[in-house]
Parts: sequence; C-alpha cells; structure tokens
Amino acid sequence: MTDLLQLLFAGLSQGAVYALVAIGFVAIFTVSGVINLAQGEFAALAGLVAISAVGSGLPLLAAVVLAVVSVALVAVIMERLVIFPVKRMTTLVSLILTLGVSTGLKALMLLVYGPNAEGLTPLTPGGFSLGGVSIRYQELWILLIAGVVSLAVYWFYERTLAGKSLRACAEQPVAARLVGISLTKASLLSFLIAGTVGAIAGVLASPIYFTSWESGLTLGLKGFVAATLGGLISVRGAVLGGLLLGVLETLTAGYISTGLRDAVAFLLLIIVLVARPAGIFGRTAEARV
Amino acid sequence: MGRRTATTRTAALLAAMTLSLAACAESEEGGGGGGATADETGPIKIGAVLDITGAGASLGVPERQALELLAGQLEEEGGIDGREVELIIEDNQSTEDGAAKAMNKLVNEDEVDIVLGASRTGPSLAMRPIAESTETPMISLAANQAIVEDSEWVFKTAQNDRVVIERMIDYMAEQGWSTIGLARDASGFGEGVAEMFDEIGAEKGISVVATEKFAPDATDFTAQMVNLRDAGADVNVIWGIPPAAGLAQRAYDQLGIETPVMQSHGIGNQVFLDTAGDAAEGMVAPLGRLVVAEQLPEDDPQKEIITTFIDDYTAEFGAGPSTFSGHAYDAWQLAVDALREEGTDPQAIRDHLEGITDFTGISGVFTMTPEDHAGLSKEALALVTVEDGQWQLVPDQGD
Repeated sequence: MTDLLQLLFAGLSQGAVYALVAIGFVAIFTVSGVINLAQGEFAALAGLVAISAVGSGLPLLAAVVLAVVSVALVAVIMERLVIFPVKRMTTLVSLILTLGVSTGLKALMLLVYGPNAEGLTPLTPGGFSLGGVSIRYQELWILLIAGVVSLAVYWFYERTLAGKSLRACAEQPVAARLVGISLTKASLLSFLIAGTVGAIAGVLASPIYFTSWESGLTLGLKGFVAATLGGLISVRGAVLGGLLLGVLETLTAGYISTGLRDAVAFLLLIIVLVARPAGIFGRTAEARV
Repeated sequence: MGRRTATTRTAALLAAMTLSLAACAESEEGGGGGGATADETGPIKIGAVLDITGAGASLGVPERQALELLAGQLEEEGGIDGREVELIIEDNQSTEDGAAKAMNKLVNEDEVDIVLGASRTGPSLAMRPIAESTETPMISLAANQAIVEDSEWVFKTAQNDRVVIERMIDYMAEQGWSTIGLARDASGFGEGVAEMFDEIGAEKGISVVATEKFAPDATDFTAQMVNLRDAGADVNVIWGIPPAAGLAQRAYDQLGIETPVMQSHGIGNQVFLDTAGDAAEGMVAPLGRLVVAEQLPEDDPQKEIITTFIDDYTAEFGAGPSTFSGHAYDAWQLAVDALREEGTDPQAIRDHLEGITDFTGISGVFTMTPEDHAGLSKEALALVTVEDGQWQLVPDQGD
C-alpha cells in the first residue's frame, strides 16, 4: 500500500510537469492549428537559463522570473519570425517550421550551456516522510504551482474577454474575424501563454528531473501525448492527460518493468488516436478550450 | 466531432511521425571529408570516438579534454619521431549507431592508425566488429569485459567490471553481507552484471536477490528504489553512470532506505558528487586512485603520474580531471607508446599493445596478455567513500 501511494505520488508530480507542457500545445493548437514541436525546448531553455542565472549569483526567485520572462519572449519572437509571416498555414507546414525552430534552439542550448545535464536549486530543499511515503518539498511545489497555473489558464479562457476571443478564433475563425477579433494578435497571445507555461514547467521540473540541452525532446513528446489524450483542444483534458500519463508511467515502471516506462506514452497515443481521436475525456471536448 | 476531429487526428498523426523522425535525426551525422591517403611520412593519425553529447556526456567531455591536452603536449614535444600527430575526435552522441558510423568514417575516410573510444560499453561494442574486420587497433575507454573478450584488435583501459565486482564482493564478504539488491543501467554497461555478481559471489555465499533496471538517461528512480527497499537485501548496489547514478542515489536517500549502498566504478567524477549531493555520504565505491590522489602514500607507484596529470589538467581547464579523463589518458599513452616503438604498421601496433607489461597509468598498472586485453587487476581499484562532499579513501581497504 505504501509502495502504491509512493508510486502514485511520484507519478502525479511527474505528470503535473507533462500537464503544463501539454497546456502549451493546446494553447497554440486551438488558435491556429499549429502543433508547436518546440514546446519541449521552451521548458529545457527555461531550466538552463535559470540554472546559469543562479550559477552567476542571482537569487533563485529572480533567476526563475528571468527564465520565464526570457522564454516567453523567445516564444513571442518565434511567432513573429516563423509563424506570422506564413500566409497559408497548414498543420504540415507548421510541423516543419516548428521542428526547425526546435532543432535550432537545441543547437543553441548545446553551444551556450554545454552537453551536461544539471539540476536547478530546489525552491525548498529536502523533504519529509508521511506514513512511509517520502515526499520532496519540490514535488509539492510542482503540484501546487501546476494546479494554480492550470486554474489560471482555465479561468483566462472561460472568464476574460481576451480568453473568450481566443476561444472564438479556435471555434469560428471567420466569425471571430467578422466581429473584429484579430487572428494575428490571438496567435501571438497563444504563443505567449505557451512560452510562459512551458517555461514554468521547465523551472519546476529541473531540480528533480534535471535539464540538459536535449531534455526538451522527451518532455515535448510526453506533453504532446498528454495533450492528445485530451483531444488537443482542451486545457482540462491536457491536465488530466498529463497526470494520467505520469501515473501510468510510474506504475508501469514499478509493477511491470522499468524498460517499458517510455513505451507507455506511445502505446497510449496509438490507442487514443485509433479508438478515441477526440480525446479520452468525452466527445464534447471540441467545444471546450 | 466531424471535421474538427478529423483535423485533430491528422494533426496528431503527423506530429507523432515528425517527432519520431526528429528522434531519429538526433542520431544522424554528416559525412564529409575526402579520402586522405596515409603514407609513412605524413602525419600520424589518432582517431577518437567519444560520448560527447547525450547520456554519456559526463564521461565524454572530460575524455575529450584529456585527449586535447595530451595532443597539445605531444605537439610541443615535436610529435613522434618528427612526425606530426593529428587527433581526430568524433561525437557518437552516446548512441550505438552513432559510434559505428563514426568508427567507419575514421577508418575509411580519415584512415587513422589507431582508434580510441568509445566512452561507454554499448557504443564500444558497436565499434568492435569494425575494428576486427578492418584490422584497426582500437582502445576502448569503457568498462564491460565483453568489449575485449576473445578480441584480436580491441583493447581497453577502464577497469573490467569483473575486477570491480571482485573488489566489491571482497568488501561485502568482510562486512558479512550475503544478499544484494541491484539497480543497474539498462544499457551495455549494466548488461550481465547481476550474473557476474552471482558467479563471483558464489564461493562466498553472496547472491543477488533483486534486480532493477534504469535507462542511462532516466530522471525518476522512485519505482526502482521502492522495489529495492521491498527486496530487503543486506546491501544495495547502484550500477550506472552520472547523472543517472547520482539521481538514483538521491532517490535512494530520499526514500529513507537505511541499507548500506555501494556504487560501481562508473561514478568517478564531479558530476556524481554534484547530482547526488548529501545523499552520497557514506556510500562506498571501488574507484581509480585518481580521485584520492592526495591521500595516496608517497611510495604508491601511480602517485607521481597521477599528480602530474591532475596539475596539467587543472592548469588547462580550471577544474580537476575525473577517472574518465584518466581512462582517456591511459589509452592515449598506450597508443603513443605503440606508435613510437612500432611506427604505423597496424599488426605491429597490435602486437605491441598485447605485450604491454607493467605500464603505469592513471587507472592502474597495465599488463596485457593475449587472453587479457584490459590489463588491470583488482589492485587497480581503491575503495572510496564520500565525506563532506569529497572523495575519501575507505580506511579499511578489505584486502
């Protein structure tokens, strides 16, 4: 029982990171149909920026803020330079473009930060044991902040005018334009959200899961699977998908075989795409954002 | 559903394909370079295939630095017999296919006289058949004995896992432990380790009661460590390389497991100390003497050579070398020794390497034989623990 709880807890905190990355995929895909393969790189870049900022003497909190802001900026610049100029954006074109950005970012990170994996200083070092289940404070931070961020993003889409206009672009692009919503602004905003959320995922995950120039690939892949579990257009689905994936991975590693851990994501992806392409969380997913 | 669903499905499929393509592309590598011809008067070419990026980066980077340092020193001395020595380093991105490709390039395009590398077992095993079939002398820097078993052309400088395990079993027997819980690297480095513990431990009544695996680039170890805890062995062994080995050590400590833990010789670098942090305190591992150089007695035959290397390396790179840079140092010195004595005839180089006797290096004193292309015994290893974030010789060496 203790083991199960321990595995569940480890899975949830890992899953919360996937969930944040997944929200980034959803934010961009709903607005412009772009699948941003550089989403994982946002997280890796944020982790590396924060690590080197702490290394050069900045206080942890300032380093984290710096990392999130600079990655959000990178996302916005990426949108302006790579996505905005394309007149007829199809999913295929977007994949090729964002893959290019992803490769470029990776090369840049390798050049600037070198090949070694490193971990950021935890927000609160150490941990405690509760009924035989050991818990790191950083894991609590991951769950707490991921929860707050998810709620904030959800609230933004449901309750604010800007959020509603993003949903309008997603559901009825032509009508949205007719009532005066700027699609280009919406696309820019969606990248800003994706960059911020991705960066938060990166700095939260770094103390436990470590960051290197190439850790974005795995994170992006897992985040993408999580987003697909939620139908790619639902924030709620993405969050649930991320948590589910994290828990399933840890349980597989604990009870079946650690070698199968990474296969879980792909198995899930295939099953969901074949059986429930709209996501596993209900068929009305298309109306939600 | 309808249109939107179809779009989603197509988009998701496309993305999945692209992502997996991207993953494949990771291991792609440009060819390039024309076919230079080797002759007896041109530069002597030493090739090196290292795990500079990817899971083995904490090994490959210091190895590259050691090789560059040594190549620079040799150049200042004027090369070998007046012939310039050219060092060509390839990155295998810590993959097997990357290693095979790099090996092919070095042998066929650059026509090198000898190849050093790779840093880890898997990539080294991928290079071995090419060395054998093209009759190119090769010196691996990796651990697993399988790399040199029955080999004609392949040698290696890292201590064999067999001698490491002999050393560990000796220590376990002395401590009165008889059951082992093992968490091992799932790649070539950890292959066959559990069986070897059982085989060598048999006469002392020591056996492995649980085996867990982790990928060399894994980041979460909760599952493996929970299973080790449940196995309830007398001692647990983590067999991997940093950062994974350090993260595993942290997870072990964080789960509050009180059982003593031992690690392999795969952890002899600062990255391990950094990633494991306080969790490493008290852990015991058999390592090369490099990490405890200052604590060695004055009459230790390796002391001088190790100290000189540490000083040179630190002066050049601003930080001390790891045991891995030591493996590279030994491979380089063996190669240069053979080239100096025999010239560039591959057969002569091979025979020379096989006849190496009492060659003092960083990782130990090498004596190669036709049966043993690794050349180190368990005396090459010192039992080391961590105190206050520093490597410490274990007072009781158990011999």
